[in-house]
Amino acid sequence: MRSANPNSARPMPPNAFQPIQTIKEMLMNSSFVMRASERGYNRFLSTGAASSYIGGHPDSILTRHSSFNFGPYQAGRPGFGRLRVFGDETFSGAGCGYNIHPHHNFIICAFVLECQLTHINTVGNIDQLTPGDFYAFSAGSGGKHCEVNLKQDDLHVIYIWMMPDQLLLPPLYSRSHFDALSSRNKLVTLVGNVDGGVRVSQDVKVSRLVSDKSITLEYVPTSAVHGVYASVLEGTVDCAGTPLERRDSTGIWGAERIPLRTSAQETDLLIVETAA
Amino acid sequence: MSNEPLKRLMCLGCGFLYDEALGLPEHGLPPGTRWADIPEDWACPDCGTPKRHFEMVEIPYALGQPEFCPADAA
Repeated sequence: MRSANPNSARPMPPNAFQPIQTIKEMLMNSSFVMRASERGYNRFLSTGAASSYIGGHPDSILTRHSSFNFGPYQAGRPGFGRLRVFGDETFSGAGCGYNIHPHHNFIICAFVLECQLTHINTVGNIDQLTPGDFYAFSAGSGGKHCEVNLKQDDLHVIYIWMMPDQLLLPPLYSRSHFDALSSRNKLVTLVGNVDGGVRVSQDVKVSRLVSDKSITLEYVPTSAVHGVYASVLEGTVDCAGTPLERRDSTGIWGAERIPLRTSAQETDLLIVETAA
Repeated sequence: MSNEPLKRLMCLGCGFLYDEALGLPEHGLPPGTRWADIPEDWACPDCGTPKRHFEMVEIPYALGQPEFCPADAA
């Protein structure tokens, strides 16, 4: 740790000077609690200024709660470790969604919570995902995708974007399924370098816990320099002594283990672990 | 000419990469154009995200990338 007092009489050891971290880096590597209402909020209509971006019937509305700065929301945290986007999104109205648009580099994951997501990409996939389904789309050297709700009901999706560990990788699409019934009351890793996990080219792990009774467990980060971002999708969770309600979240760095306790009611917790 | 190492910056709206070594000749930025010398009102050619919402990255290229690098050709 750097000396807090520059006027300290004690001479600094020769290797005590660390590069001064930028505010951005500090914000991406510091612990926090974020209440649901503290997230960014954007609402896009399929008409007017965003009409080339947002598809759908003239009455379509796409809403996005952002945990980190993204798009028009720039008043919050820049990210968390390798994460840059954590979007809690609702597509309302048949045809509502993102028209086909380009990406590079980012690894984009989508977790469908309700209704059905139709995903089309230039890797060659036309995919339809229902609750429990999730994908990882690594845009790499370039890829386009379209995200659309073709149903009348509201589509709820969690989008997570992470930096890649190499630039301009070959684009890749993988999809899998989280079975909330057979995985009930167990923490399951969905994305990451583990058996059964969808592999991505980054030191990030995404896990999910759906419980129907009070569960106590400890999340053990891979190392002391990994951070854990836990977001309560449903129910309530006590996370390292902090009570979290629906859509509250917390980012934790430097913990050897993180005690978790879910409420007795149906609870759904998404945990993203990331290298610094 | 500055001796500073050439930088890479990524668009936080879509992931588009600007590499100072490569520039963007097709958008009027010759190879070697420093990020600081690009006008503040410049925006991502792919998604329109403003210049200020790019992030400097120190991520290595994947094998075989970038496909054409003027530094290699020189």
